[in-house]
Amino acid sequence: MKLYYASASPFVRKCMVAAIELGLDDRIELVTVATTPVAPAAELDAVNPVRKIPALIAEDGQALYDSAVICEYLDALGGTHLIPPEGPERWSVRRQEALADALLDAAVITRYELAVRPEEKRWDTWIEAQKGKIDGALGQMERDAASFGGAIHMGAIAFACALGYLDFRFADDGWRDGHDKLAGWYDGFAQRPSMQRTVPSA
Amino acid sequence: MKLHWSPTSPYVRKVMIAAHEVGAVDQLEFAETFPQSVIEDVGPDNPLGMIPALVTDDGEPLYDSSVIIAWLNDRFGGSLIPAPGPEAWAVYRRHALAHGLIDATNARFHERRRPPELQWAQQDAKLKRRIDLAMDGLDREAAALDGPFTVAQIAAGVALGYLDLRFPDEDWRPNRPALAAWHAAISQRPSFAATAPPSA
Repeated sequence: MKLYYASASPFVRKCMVAAIELGLDDRIELVTVATTPVAPAAELDAVNPVRKIPALIAEDGQALYDSAVICEYLDALGGTHLIPPEGPERWSVRRQEALADALLDAAVITRYELAVRPEEKRWDTWIEAQKGKIDGALGQMERDAASFGGAIHMGAIAFACALGYLDFRFADDGWRDGHDKLAGWYDGFAQRPSMQRTVPSA
Repeated sequence: MKLHWSPTSPYVRKVMIAAHEVGAVDQLEFAETFPQSVIEDVGPDNPLGMIPALVTDDGEPLYDSSVIIAWLNDRFGGSLIPAPGPEAWAVYRRHALAHGLIDATNARFHERRRPPELQWAQQDAKLKRRIDLAMDGLDREAAALDGPFTVAQIAAGVALGYLDLRFPDEDWRPNRPALAAWHAAISQRPSFAATAPPSA
């Protein structure tokens, strides 16, 4: 399998952490892509028309995206499951992944607004709206994480990659303030080899 | 079950079509929300302040649209989502492509709604290019859309309808006859006809 990859992408990280936790990482070849809105990577267009990473070339050669689909695919290959196959846990894990992905969407939008968009074109109202989503998400994550314990599932992985991205790009915003349980849980989870091996670099 | 909704959101429309398809509509209580009040209306059930948000009959909040559809499909014994396996991945991917098209259309719509002096032509062009590439991808798979009705068709049909809603002056049909024919046909499906957005 080939994973189109950039080390800063939190969505790529989610797939890599899942792959490592499932014991599948040695079956994945990483193809580094540097893509920003200003310099899109042409080789990616053929693979993923919505032009986002991650994209996975599966073992049968078909192209898969987005990150949630890639993680479902990986989950079906391994012996253990990061997404519960049935029951209420399935829905809470999937909702948690959606929550973390929405936080990441808002954070990535903010990152582009501040790092790529010309300063005179930035819109405070837009940035504030994203911050509202991030803050709302963090509040719910604080409640959800209280019940995680040491569980390893797609919700926990998605949470960890989202929080890692906030540390990486928005360290000054201090997400830990007011989210003690989440911070305590994250400090433990971040020690896992899957997280240590995938720390983002610029 | 309660669904927070609005008549124009393509993400809500995905869920409404699925609800029609699996026979769940009669059990849904609808709570309409508006852009100026969505955060306070929906926040208690979805801390992101985004629609759609469903509260299940067990009182559990659910989001986003894809998770809600999967839950409805499971709860009502629908056939919208093939079980994981070789044929399923293509359906999931097609759904992701169409959902990405909705996202790009929505992003471009929001770019155009900025104060004029804060709009960035390069961003509009980038999003237009992303929309065009997604349409190319969908067009290449138009024949596959004639297969069994799944979440992929729901997302594709909603995506094309959303382009019509937000960019009515940019007709995508002339260059894409296969997609145009498919969209015309799917729009006759009762679940699509019942959920068509009001003209912008």
